[in-house]
Amino acid sequence: MPVLPALDIVYWPAVVDFKHDSLKARPDGDILVGFVEGSLRTNEDIENAKLMRNKCQLIISFGSCSCYGNVHGLANQWDIQKAINRKFVGAESITNESPHEPKEHMPGFTDKIVPLDEVIKVDAYISGCPPKPEAIVSAVQFLLGQKPFPMNESAFCADCILNNENCLLEHGKLCFGPITSTGCTLKCTNNGDPCVGCFGPSKSVSNRVGKLNDMITNINQLSSGDKKNLYEFLSLFLNVPLMAGFDLSGDILKQIKIKGEAKTTLTNLPSETEEISSKIMKFLRDNRDFTEISTVCDTCPRIINSNSTMTKVKRDYEGLPNMDDCLIEQGYICMGPVTKAGCGGLCMRVNAPCTGCFGQTEWVADQASRYADVAIKGFNVALSKDELLSQVKDHLGTFQKFTLASNKAYKGGE
Amino acid sequence: MVKEIEVEPVTRLEGHGGLRIVLGDDGKVKDAQFNITSTRFFEKFCEGRYCEHVPRITPRICGICPIPHHLTPTKAVEDAWGVEIPEPAYKLRQLLQNAKQYSSHLLHFYALAAPDFLLGPFADPALRNVVHVINKMPDVGAMALKMMDFGQKLCAEIGGKSVHPISAIVGGMKKPMDEDARDRFLRQVDEQIEFTKKTVDIGLKVVEDYWDVVANVGVVPTYYLGMTKNGVHDIYDGDIRIVTPEGEKIDYDVHNYLDALGEHIPEHSYATHMYYKPAGYPEGIYRANTLAMINAADKMATPLADEALKAFREKIGPISHHTFAYHWARLIETVESIELIKTLLEDPDIVSPDCKTLDVEPKEGVGVGVTEAPRGLLLYNIWSDADGICKKLNLLVATNHNIAGIEKSLMHTAKQVFEDKALEGLKLPDPWIK
Repeated sequence: MPVLPALDIVYWPAVVDFKHDSLKARPDGDILVGFVEGSLRTNEDIENAKLMRNKCQLIISFGSCSCYGNVHGLANQWDIQKAINRKFVGAESITNESPHEPKEHMPGFTDKIVPLDEVIKVDAYISGCPPKPEAIVSAVQFLLGQKPFPMNESAFCADCILNNENCLLEHGKLCFGPITSTGCTLKCTNNGDPCVGCFGPSKSVSNRVGKLNDMITNINQLSSGDKKNLYEFLSLFLNVPLMAGFDLSGDILKQIKIKGEAKTTLTNLPSETEEISSKIMKFLRDNRDFTEISTVCDTCPRIINSNSTMTKVKRDYEGLPNMDDCLIEQGYICMGPVTKAGCGGLCMRVNAPCTGCFGQTEWVADQASRYADVAIKGFNVALSKDELLSQVKDHLGTFQKFTLASNKAYKGGE
Repeated sequence: MVKEIEVEPVTRLEGHGGLRIVLGDDGKVKDAQFNITSTRFFEKFCEGRYCEHVPRITPRICGICPIPHHLTPTKAVEDAWGVEIPEPAYKLRQLLQNAKQYSSHLLHFYALAAPDFLLGPFADPALRNVVHVINKMPDVGAMALKMMDFGQKLCAEIGGKSVHPISAIVGGMKKPMDEDARDRFLRQVDEQIEFTKKTVDIGLKVVEDYWDVVANVGVVPTYYLGMTKNGVHDIYDGDIRIVTPEGEKIDYDVHNYLDALGEHIPEHSYATHMYYKPAGYPEGIYRANTLAMINAADKMATPLADEALKAFREKIGPISHHTFAYHWARLIETVESIELIKTLLEDPDIVSPDCKTLDVEPKEGVGVGVTEAPRGLLLYNIWSDADGICKKLNLLVATNHNIAGIEKSLMHTAKQVFEDKALEGLKLPDPWIK
C-alpha cells in the first residue's frame, strides 16, 4: 500500500477497471514493467503473456506459477485429455446426457504447463507461493529507483509503544529501533516483535543506541536465528534489493562477498548508525555460515543435529513433532534443504514441513535422488538412500510439487 | 443488425471471465453469457497424491480464500479415514475460518464493491478503484486497512501464512495458538467490533442511498444454497440447506450432496452451472454466497449479528431475491465473524496443547468435507485407498455455485436495461466522492 500512490497502474483486472482493449491499444514498450503471474493453462494465457511482453519494457515472472508452473504442473503427469475428461465428463455431480468440453468462446487448453520463460523472455523472477510482500515492495522500490519513505529526523523509539520498561533491547532482544526512521505503522512492536529496520536509517539516533551497539559488538553471542536475520536487516535498512530469485541486481550477500561491503545510495548517516552497520557487514563477510543464506534451512529456527534421528519416514499426519528439533530429524520429509530461501521459514514455525514452494536450489533430473543425498549427508538420518526413497510413495507430489513443469527431463503424459 | 456487447475482462473479480450480451434487431436481448475462461484441473492432479497433502495443494485454487481450501479437504480426509479431532482443534479451525471471513468480506466491501457506490456507476474507470477511495476518504480507508490487516494477521498467526495456510493436518492442528499472540489479538478485538459497527453504518447508508437500485434492479427469484448447523448460520460445520424461491428450507446431510446438487456443463464456460437437482436445469439454478446464507439461516450465531438479520428481514422480508442486497448480507456475516472471533479468542481451549489426535491411521474410504467459504459453499469429496493415497477427488467450489445464478441475473438485468429502459427513471444519489 505505501508504494501504490507512486505507481501509475495501467492494467490489473483484479483491482482496477481498465479492460483488455485498453492494454491492446497501447504502443509496444509503453509500460515500464509488467508483473506476470499465474500458470499458463489455456491458449488465452499464452496470448496474454505475449501481449504483456510486447507492451512492457521489463517483465517480472511473479510467483511460483509463472516461475515454475506451481502445483498445476503436476497435471503434466497425464495427457491433457484425461484431465479434461475428469472435469467435464467424469465428475460425479455432472448431469448432462452427453457432457463434453465447453468450446463456445472458450480458449482451449495447452498440452502441458510450462513456466513463463519458455513462452516469452523474462527479465527477473520473484518466486514463492505466495511471494513475500517484502519482495514485492523491494522490487517496486528498486524499479522506482528511490526509497519511497523519507529519512525522518527521529528514530523509531520515539513512537514505539514499548519505549519504557518493556523495551525489547532492555530484555536482550535485538531491535533496530534506535537507528531506524520513524514513519511506519509500528506494526512490529505493536505485535511485540522487534523493529527490523525496514524504514531505513533516521537522521538522529535514540538514546538506546548504546544498548544496540553493545549487542552488535558482541555479535557472536546473538542467537543463531538473530544472526541469520542480520542480512535481511541490512538489505532492508540500506535499501538493497533482497529476495530469493529476484536476480535483477544481485542481493546484498553477493555484494558483500565480492566487494567487502554493500553499496547504498544513502549518505550522511549518523556515526553510530555507520558503526553498527559496518560491524554487521564485517561479521557477515567473515562468517561464511551467515553469508551462505541459500536454502530455507538457513532461515529456519529449528536445531539441526538435534537429539532426534529419522529412523523411518513419517507421514505428516503421524504424531505431532516438537517445536525445537529439525523436522527431517524427527522423521518428516521437509524440503527445506533443497528449497530456495526467501520465505523466512514460515511453515516450520507452525510445525509444518516445507513443501518447496520457492523452488529448488539446483535443477537436476532426479529431484528425489538429490533430496535423499542432501538429507542423508546433512541431517541425523539413519536410513539408506534406498530405504528413504522407498518409504515415500508419491515421489512427484513430494519432491516436485511446485516445479514439475520446469523439469525438462520429465516427459509425463501417461 | 445483431449487436454484441462484450465486457472483457470483468474487473475487480478474483478470476478470469468476461460478459457477453447479444441484442437482436428488435432490441431484444437474445443471449447473455458469463464466460469463465480458466480452470486448472485440481480434481485430476490431486490423484495419486497423499491424502494429507491435498490440503497443502488446493489452497492454490484461490488466493483470496485459501483457508477454506485448506480446512475443507482436511475435513474430507478425516471423514474418509474416520478420524475425530480434539475440541481445541475444532475451535482453532473455527477461529481461522472466521478470521478469513472477516478479512475477505471487508476486502470485498471496501476494495471490490465500494468504488462503485462511493464514486457512482458513471465515474471514470481510471479512478473507480480502492486506491482512489483511500486517497479521498483517508479516515475510512485507514479503518478499512486496519480491519483487513487484523483479519489477515490472525489468519497468519493461526494458519502459519495468511495466504496458503499450512497449520491444519488430518487429526487436528499442528500447533495451538501462542498465549502472547492470543493476548495481542484480544487487546485489539474491541476496537475491531467498533470498526465493524461503523462499517455497518456506512453500508446501511449506501443501501438507503441506492434503495431504488437495490429494490428494482436485478431482483431475480432463484433457489439458494447455504449451510446451517441445526438451522443456525455456521461457516465451519453443518448441513447443506437449500432455500426454494418461495422460501421453503430443505436440509441435506453433506454425504447426500449428490441428491441436491447437480452440475450442468454449459457450452460457453469452464466454470460449470450448478442447480438444485430435484427442480431440474435450468429451473433449479441457485445462488450461493452471503445472500444465500442469510436466506438459509433461521438465526445468526451471535447476538449483534442476529439483530442485524432481524433488521434486514424487517426491511426486505423473510426471503430476499435482491442481487444488490448481497452487500448488506455480507455485512451481517461480518458482524457475526468478529463476534465469534472475540468469543473464541477468550476461550482457553485455543491455547491448549491438546490440538491433535496422535494416532491417525489411513483407511480406504470416501469422505465429504463442507465449509462455507466467503464466496459460497465449498465441498470436497475425496476417495482414499488403504494407504491413504487420493484415488479421486470431486470439487464443488464456492464461486462456481454462483456462475449460473450470475448469468441468470445478468439476463434479467440486461432485459431491464435494454428492453424496459429501467435505468432511465432510476433514482441515483450524488456520489460521496466526486
